[in-house]
Amino acid sequence: MAVVTISGEHDLKTAPDLSTRLAELIDAQEGLVFDLSLASFVDSSILGVILDSRRQAKEAGVAFEVVHDGETDAVGRVLEITGLRAELPVHATANAALAASGPGPPGGPTSGKGAGA
Amino acid sequence: MPDPALQLLLPARAENVIVVRQAVAGLGEALGLSEQRVGDLKTVVSEACNNVVVHAYEGEPGPLHVSADPGADELVVTVADQGDGFRPEASADGASISLGLPLIASLSDGFEVSGRAGEGTTTTIRFAFEEQSLPVETNGAARAPPEELELQIPPGELARPVLARVIGALAARAEFSVERLSDTVLLGDAVSGHAPEDFPEGLVSIAIRDGDGTLDVRVGPMVEGGGERILSTMDLPGGSGGSLRKLAASMDVERADDGEYLVFEVSS
Repeated sequence: MAVVTISGEHDLKTAPDLSTRLAELIDAQEGLVFDLSLASFVDSSILGVILDSRRQAKEAGVAFEVVHDGETDAVGRVLEITGLRAELPVHATANAALAASGPGPPGGPTSGKGAGA
Repeated sequence: MPDPALQLLLPARAENVIVVRQAVAGLGEALGLSEQRVGDLKTVVSEACNNVVVHAYEGEPGPLHVSADPGADELVVTVADQGDGFRPEASADGASISLGLPLIASLSDGFEVSGRAGEGTTTTIRFAFEEQSLPVETNGAARAPPEELELQIPPGELARPVLARVIGALAARAEFSVERLSDTVLLGDAVSGHAPEDFPEGLVSIAIRDGDGTLDVRVGPMVEGGGERILSTMDLPGGSGGSLRKLAASMDVERADDGEYLVFEVSS
């Protein structure tokens, strides 16, 4: 599993690169944990990337789990109001996401990128 | 009207949305908005700007105008472009716009999108300094669908084609034969040509309920005597005793608390 963490503000400008990076990992048959906990802002284009990536991962048969630890900050509000917190679902911690992604290969996650929650 | 407190004019490019977002967030902080409310403001303004960047100029350069005007308890933000206006398009990247407008709707206290083809689009957003109690409870009773179609229209020239089409559509849906459909439209014509004085508000008022192969039509409320007067207009000239009312399975004048109704049923 790869853990991808984004921090700071992400929007229309950063969405294409993020989309490309996630697609590369999915193409490489990596299960993904996408952690938004350190992000201070995401717009609907980032939500679009998340939904697209989740669809791609499903088609590729790899896990795609989303993590966000806050509920009331700007990112949490957007996840809540769009219904994505329940729909995706969004996990409170990276560990919860890893557990939800099902039994991994022996020895647990094979790679980590960035800091988890 | 004084100029808005903040005005920005910049190229409509993706990398500029963060600039607008920070400017508006700074204004929000200066106005004493809570951290959460500033976050909401950033989301709302970003989504409105995204619509300009993505849709206004089809990848060509163009201006993005933003203004923010603080009032006593709310900020009015406008985001405007000089693009070609919203046009129907099947978008492959539908996610951003399909989530963008609902986000604006949910986090603001009202928004309007105005404009016309070729003259640009302006999104005007009202944003209260303090969060309103949300979500607003939906009123289930108010949202219940009516049990019948209700239509009001000034009598005469407008009423005739509108009523003919509505009745025609309902009769076709109820699988009336062409002959019965045309009978029904004739009855509609008789109603639509009726004198406006008989309707309290000067509008022909009709309720139509479509059932299994039938249409129940209720015309009114009318002033006293209105029902009889419509019936008399249905009598064919020449004293033959012929009347359009025979086209209906039943036709009666009913009296209710709010006035008189002409009630008839047409069946296939």
